[in-house]
Amino acid sequence: MQHVFAIMLQAEPYRAAQPLYADNVSMWRHMSGALHQSLYRVVTLLTTILPGVLAFIVSLAVFTLAGMVISALLRRALVAFRFDDRFAHGQSSVAWAPSSSLSELIARVSFWACVLLGLIIGVSAFDAAYATAAAPSISFLPYFTRIVGAVFLLVAGNVIARFLARSVLIGAVNEQLQYARFLSLGVKWLVLVLTAAMVLDHLQIGGLVAELAFGILFGGIVLTLALAVGLGSRDLVSRSLESHVERTNERSVAPMASPVQSSADPILHI
Amino acid sequence: MATTDSIPDITAPSVRSSAGLLVLLSDMPHEQFKDILAKLTVSFKTEDLIIAGPESLQTDNGSALRFVRAAATNGSWILTASDFVNAYQLAVKNEAHGILILGPESDSLSSSALCGLASAVLLGSTDLAVPRYDLQPHARLITSAILYPLTRALFASHVRLPQALDLGLSLRMAERLALAAHRFSTHNQNDELLWPVNEAAVAGFAVSQIEVGPRAQPQPIGNELNTVLPQVTGSLFADIDAKAAFWQRSRPLQTSADQLPSFAPTSQTPSTEAAAEIVPMLQAFRLAYTNLQEIWQLVLPPSSLVGLKRISTTDGAAFRMPDSLWVRIVYDFLLAHRLRTINRGHLLGALIPLYLAWLASHLNIISSGIDPELHIESLAAAFEADKTYLVSRWRWPDRFNP
Repeated sequence: MQHVFAIMLQAEPYRAAQPLYADNVSMWRHMSGALHQSLYRVVTLLTTILPGVLAFIVSLAVFTLAGMVISALLRRALVAFRFDDRFAHGQSSVAWAPSSSLSELIARVSFWACVLLGLIIGVSAFDAAYATAAAPSISFLPYFTRIVGAVFLLVAGNVIARFLARSVLIGAVNEQLQYARFLSLGVKWLVLVLTAAMVLDHLQIGGLVAELAFGILFGGIVLTLALAVGLGSRDLVSRSLESHVERTNERSVAPMASPVQSSADPILHI
Repeated sequence: MATTDSIPDITAPSVRSSAGLLVLLSDMPHEQFKDILAKLTVSFKTEDLIIAGPESLQTDNGSALRFVRAAATNGSWILTASDFVNAYQLAVKNEAHGILILGPESDSLSSSALCGLASAVLLGSTDLAVPRYDLQPHARLITSAILYPLTRALFASHVRLPQALDLGLSLRMAERLALAAHRFSTHNQNDELLWPVNEAAVAGFAVSQIEVGPRAQPQPIGNELNTVLPQVTGSLFADIDAKAAFWQRSRPLQTSADQLPSFAPTSQTPSTEAAAEIVPMLQAFRLAYTNLQEIWQLVLPPSSLVGLKRISTTDGAAFRMPDSLWVRIVYDFLLAHRLRTINRGHLLGALIPLYLAWLASHLNIISSGIDPELHIESLAAAFEADKTYLVSRWRWPDRFNP
């Protein structure tokens, strides 16, 4: 808009200075010249960027291929050494066991490490080619790294949210809490909201608005839960706590016994 | 391979003449310790015995018994990897010919029971002597539901208690178990469980089951079903995974059609006590049915989900879980454990409500007058009959799953 006004303001002196070129032909010539110059600038910019883009693509492709080869070799080697079996013998923590076999995990990590390396080298090559021609690259590279970081945050947040939601759901069901699903959903959305806020903050989008919105939303969720527990579900919670205390007392008398022990012969699971 | 023996003659001369029975004891009160020593000296000469235990047990007891100090173990409710490592190291060091490992509260075993376990390995007829206790109907229910049927179906062993608290071991059996336990010890995981029956089956060693009568059953203090079931079942699943090459080839025990246990369904109403016991179990199952569908769907095939839907609507007294359904559930959880379909902690947590449903069904069955052992034998036979399903899905997991 400012440009339009500037042109309008400049129109008068231009017309006054060059009265001989006021015909249509000279106008078209000027427009054509301006367009040609613009096109030239864009093409020049593209030819400047193109080697960088090609370098980026080649780097990514080469390192992806290298990653695939390294990953396949590692997988074969680990299978040949029966790495999973050996690791399984020494594995104790059931709860934190990875969802894939360790050899598979190592192979995947090596592949994605290569892809990441290719990405970094490609971006720096792109930046090197671009920086010689244009100033905006100074701000482009840091922002690109921020985007990569934000994607990692988003993926990690989703994975953690899903894991925690399942853990809470199963734990709450096994504790026989009637509001197990509600708890699980609450935990999931808390983590997702936190992740979204972190991603926006990382990308520097929204600035203070995002922070305020997150604070209000997060605080609102926690306050809602507190009010729901404190007021709406007071009886439910007190009943749950009472039954939990009763169960604990019974277990301290007869460990591993089932919740209701009415017969003389207690239930021993193990 | 596995045989069931009654307690052999305790005054057999060959037993008397064989030297070097190492008796490994867990930590226990002194009264219990003295009681066990008295029972052992009834059957064995004092010079034949080497008593090993924690330092706290070493007191001047006035007898000529030889005492060696063993590293302290957790000594809680089950034998762990460190027990087997200790037993083998001490046996080699003291040139023992056989090993008797006695778990906590083993003073409740009779003198003849101790002798039976020891003499089975000292006589050289067997490598692993596993006791069979006289159990109450409501005892060792995880063993009855999962451990025994799986061990029997996959490792062709009739041993009723694969995780016994007391064991008789030959030296080579102890060596094998120590080797298996060493893998855990190197990772500082001394409390891991071992599966001696499975190890013996893979090694081709002779296994005997000795009837030892009643015994106190120590329970894990402070632990709950939510902790113990994943721990024990996860350990067995991991062991089965490690020994897949063996059990896929092994044949199930030969059980002819007329030998298959069967029990006629009765219309007898369960007692009010039993009804009160199963109410919280069914509540837990129904709560899980409404909340854990999305997790069960990842593990169980549609046919099993339909079966669960059907039984979820059944009333308390009439509640029954068909054996075939329970077999498929356990096999599918085993497969999911192997394939890591979901996090293993989540997987085993999701098994707990299903186990409670089986337990409610089992309690209903036995309260209607049916012998619990008959039901468990019938369940074990169902596991054996459906082993082909497990083997086929183990080999080709992506094949169509009904």
